[in-house]
Amino acid sequence: MFDWVSILPHLILAGGGFCIFCIGAFWRLRSAGLLFAIAVIAVFLAGAQTLLITPQAPHFSGMLEVQGYGRFFTFLIIVITGLTLLFSHQYAKLRNFAGDEFYGLILLAALGMILVAGAVHWLTFFLGLEVLSISLYVLIAIRKADPGSNEAGVKYFILGAVAGAFLTFGMAIIYAVTGTLNISKSLAVGAPAGSTSLIFLGLSLLLVGIGFKISMVPFHLWAPDVYQGAPAPVTAFLSTGSKVALFAALLRFASYASNEVWSHFTPVLWILAVLTMGVGTISALAQLQVKRLLAYSSIAQMGYLLMALLAVKQNGASAIMFYLAAYALMDLGAFGMVAILSAKESDLDALEDYHGLAYAHPWRSAILAVSLLSLAGLPPTAGFIGKFALFWAVLQASYVVIAVIGILTVILSIYFYFKVIAALFMRPAQRTVTVPSMALADRVAGGLILILIFLLGLVPAPVFTIIGKALPFLKIS
Amino acid sequence: MFPWLSLILFLPLLGSFLSLAFWRRPLSCRWASLLVALADFALVMGLLTLNLKGRIGATGKWLLAEDFPWIERFGIRYSLGLDGISLMLILLTAFLTVLCVLVSWKQITQRVGAFHFFLMFMETGVLGVFLATDLFLFYLFWELQLIPMFFLIGMWGHEKRVYATIKFIIYTIVGSLLMLIGLIGLYVIHGAQTGQYTFALYQLVQTKFSPGTEIWLYAAFLLAFVIKIPVIPVHSWLPDAHTEAPTAGSVILAGLLLKAGAYAVLRFAFPLFPTAARSSVPLLLVLGLMGLFYAAWIALAQKDIKRLVAYSSIAHMGLVVIGIAIWNMMTLSGAVLQMINHGLSTSALFILVGMLDERVQSREISNFGGLWGKMPIFSAFFLLFAMASLGLPGLNNFVGEILILIGTFRTWPWVAGIGFVGLVLTVIYILRLVQGTLFGETRNPRIKELYMEDITVREAAILVPLAVAVLFIGLYPGPVLNLFQEPIEGLMTLLK
Repeated sequence: MFDWVSILPHLILAGGGFCIFCIGAFWRLRSAGLLFAIAVIAVFLAGAQTLLITPQAPHFSGMLEVQGYGRFFTFLIIVITGLTLLFSHQYAKLRNFAGDEFYGLILLAALGMILVAGAVHWLTFFLGLEVLSISLYVLIAIRKADPGSNEAGVKYFILGAVAGAFLTFGMAIIYAVTGTLNISKSLAVGAPAGSTSLIFLGLSLLLVGIGFKISMVPFHLWAPDVYQGAPAPVTAFLSTGSKVALFAALLRFASYASNEVWSHFTPVLWILAVLTMGVGTISALAQLQVKRLLAYSSIAQMGYLLMALLAVKQNGASAIMFYLAAYALMDLGAFGMVAILSAKESDLDALEDYHGLAYAHPWRSAILAVSLLSLAGLPPTAGFIGKFALFWAVLQASYVVIAVIGILTVILSIYFYFKVIAALFMRPAQRTVTVPSMALADRVAGGLILILIFLLGLVPAPVFTIIGKALPFLKIS
Repeated sequence: MFPWLSLILFLPLLGSFLSLAFWRRPLSCRWASLLVALADFALVMGLLTLNLKGRIGATGKWLLAEDFPWIERFGIRYSLGLDGISLMLILLTAFLTVLCVLVSWKQITQRVGAFHFFLMFMETGVLGVFLATDLFLFYLFWELQLIPMFFLIGMWGHEKRVYATIKFIIYTIVGSLLMLIGLIGLYVIHGAQTGQYTFALYQLVQTKFSPGTEIWLYAAFLLAFVIKIPVIPVHSWLPDAHTEAPTAGSVILAGLLLKAGAYAVLRFAFPLFPTAARSSVPLLLVLGLMGLFYAAWIALAQKDIKRLVAYSSIAHMGLVVIGIAIWNMMTLSGAVLQMINHGLSTSALFILVGMLDERVQSREISNFGGLWGKMPIFSAFFLLFAMASLGLPGLNNFVGEILILIGTFRTWPWVAGIGFVGLVLTVIYILRLVQGTLFGETRNPRIKELYMEDITVREAAILVPLAVAVLFIGLYPGPVLNLFQEPIEGLMTLLK
């Protein structure tokens, strides 16, 4: 007997998506407002369902974990999706892509992300990943007339397909060695004698595949181009939702992995984390285009998370979960503001165009500045508590050297975050930039992000309590 | 018990949001900020007159203390504590903030609401640094005060403001982020030792270290603090930040932020890492002396009055560092008193330079001269504060300097001797400043022709209280020093 209630959020999202597609296909009067409303309602219902109703069993048919860890990320991803929808409503309408495919695919991508984050079965994971990736390929290229958008879509598609191949091959090897598709069993049992190297190979391939998706150096090269080419709200969705989902999965795999296998991985991960932090930060320093700068910054942010992943066997998981939530908010804030500050013709990208913007558009600039301050890790924002937690996790697991390297990259990153803030608030405007006025949806989303960033920075205790309750679900059952 | 400390701490924040709410009406912003700042000042004065006695509470011995859980996952508490030292420093903070609002009354004409928002926000940040007794809370306020300062310099500063403010933020963040690592390290080590994970100062001072670890942690803390003070090789943000900042910004920087650095060395770095601190004393003495000489030497070459005053700050703070490093009853009293003194006299000089700048749009010494004839009252104030700054007996700085030097002479006579020579150099550049601006003929023909209004009522309202404070401490320092007695004895026992 299926416990339908426990997968209601998934069903609602899927249903909402198909409903939107059907309206698009069969009803001539497919107004953007109606489609938007359906999408928002679906997201809202799914969110309420996740928040209010505790599923009875921890797992759904051995495929999905829905009660603790999975539920935390389901809710986080639904929040991300909701904010993305709000940011993209006016943006999409102005640029004529507010059709059924846009809203439907956003819901489906969200479904994919939730499946990835909650998967305890390799097939669910693969299924979620494909749903997520295919939706995003289209979303990135949704401005059909814009060559940059198309180029970004193709780039993401080719690299995404390669990453998918790596992932599939990795899963296949793990399955071949252990004989089970259950993720925790296949990772925890460890390899039968003599095949440790095979397991190691399989996990490495998985790491490469996930590394592509979370833009881990050296698999990050697509990120700046795709982030720059994609429409800004889609970039926001891509850099928060898909990274959060994949990182949640990575954290789950790392927690399940047996200590023996994990001990082989830590040196590799150490190097990858240093590279990701270093390359992300140093590349961002010289950027004069804000979307590229934010792209590199999000690479560096992934580096901090990878660094904390080293401590996963020593209570590091709670710090990572908190930081993922904080990261999602502040990165959404940054890209979302870029989106709603952009004129119809092209996204607001050159740093020069941001000069003096705060005098004409104080609220949007303030929210952008708060998001950047949070990304830089200054109090009293969510990013500060998040950074503190990450470095706590790393230091209490005695990784002192990488903590110092990490903090040095944070120091460097201060420069480029403050460069943008200085441009917004301190330099006189150099050329006139047309900025559309804010729609109601934009105001709601911006206000929510502002409040949530400060709330998580000032009263983080409840979130840590929730995380504490979710953590036992990472243990092998 | 009513949370007086929290009220004092967060009242300015209310002022900052009020001025943001009134952003369309500049005058309302000014009045709202002024009233809130005055109310805060009145509250602190109230605490002073209550004549509180130290009580042993949950977090150690304080005149007033508050302690609530905040983030229990990490054992972080919201705990504040007030002793004689922090009482004087928050009094200085509240006082200077009132003056800052008054100083900016005419000078700031653009984006007034935002200006007062940041100014009052800043006050909360600085007060928090002086009151926090939980290290995490302290760190939070330590970083929090950076952001408003960044905007104050960058949005209302002079020509090279963006460069100056980015430089300021990078310098200070380098220190504070390395301190964050040190702080977490300390927390983890203490927790592993005692099984109790906490950031409470009174518990962390009992941590035992292996010598290697202690040096590194101490270095991380000390670096953050000496950048803020600033001590010689890491001082170069200060002249730029001071020169480019609006007057209120310079006053807060010199009067309060530099104090935060010295206060943190005194309250946190030395007591937390006593062994390492002991071994660093010679280094600190050398750096302090270098500051005294180097700054005096550079100050001699300055053309801009504001820059000259900025370098004089480095010299004065060099002496404070010496006082803290020697760590005896006398030098510590002197050092703390000198922090207050420097806050008063240097702020006064910055305010006077700001007034000149408002009148003639110039700060070059070579343009002035002969001001005594044009603006006698202004010049009298200028002379008074300049004399205070060079340590004339009867004025405030003299008391602090003499306490530090005598206290130093007992254990490190040659340091006291060299320090004395350094003070003589101070006399030279201050006298050069006084002579160049007040006396002789006005050198710039434009300024010579210009009618310059003498002190207005508003300006008198700023300068008179400062002058009274300078004279009071200079002539009758007893009550202030008595306030320091008990907390300094407490600090001394920590480092035996």
